[in-house]
Amino acid sequence: MSIPAEQRRAEFEDEALIHLDALFGLALRLSGGDEPRAEDLVQETMLKAYRAWDRFEAGTNCRAWLMTILRNTFINQFRKQKSRPVPVEFDQLAERPSSDALYEADPEGRIFDHIIDDQVIAAIDELPEEFRVAVVLSDLEGLSYQEVAELMDIPVGTVKSRLFRARKRLQGRLYEYAVEMGYVK
Amino acid sequence: MTECSTPPTGAERPGEPKLSCEEALARVYEYLDGELGAADHDAVRRHLEKCRNCYPHFDFERLFLDYVHELGAGEKARPGLEDRVREMLAAETD
Ligand SMILES: [Zn+2]
Repeated sequence: MSIPAEQRRAEFEDEALIHLDALFGLALRLSGGDEPRAEDLVQETMLKAYRAWDRFEAGTNCRAWLMTILRNTFINQFRKQKSRPVPVEFDQLAERPSSDALYEADPEGRIFDHIIDDQVIAAIDELPEEFRVAVVLSDLEGLSYQEVAELMDIPVGTVKSRLFRARKRLQGRLYEYAVEMGYVK
Repeated sequence: MTECSTPPTGAERPGEPKLSCEEALARVYEYLDGELGAADHDAVRRHLEKCRNCYPHFDFERLFLDYVHELGAGEKARPGLEDRVREMLAAETD
């Protein structure tokens, strides 16, 4: 193997590997806590990035570049298996009138200072994939509705309704935890 | 005080349709996500300036979203992943 190839690899490793935790974190949330799937996603992302390394502009945001590759890689897989219908049970549950129970029990949101993050992360992981991906892209990654819509290949209105239902479902889970903890009655 | 010829501005604009609480609350996430157009955003903001019912509701949703935005930043790659990535890159370089 040539010296320039070795230098290129060393340079890539220096720039890219420091973002491994962030990439794994995003991969893990997108795949709903499935660690082997998340690791595969990170590996595939790193391989694609390495092959495209000559096209990366030095001095620009390497982390953002890698995260975009990871998102796109995930979305390609997601679209291929997208034919599954949304579980009806979720739609019905999410519309239940108690969706404001948390607000009514704790309007000042003190629970957010006391809840254990892992419980909420588990609740995100448990969301049906179509809802989870919308929440992760919007709320954890900060993408706009339009960006989420384009990535997921759905109308902006569908992004809105999925975010609404998913967020209300999360609040419902938070309410249940708050009751379990004896934090609200 | 303002002269009669001065165009009314902000909350005092008389021709503007006022939002009901229901309409304001239906826009809570779009408002907090910064996804409303300028006119709609202003209409919600003006409603919130005056509505004691909606304001705490919006405040609560903002706290909720702030909380969710902070989640998931602390994840660490599992041991072994970095080594496997390095091996893969070395194999790719050969
Ligand atoms: Zn109101």
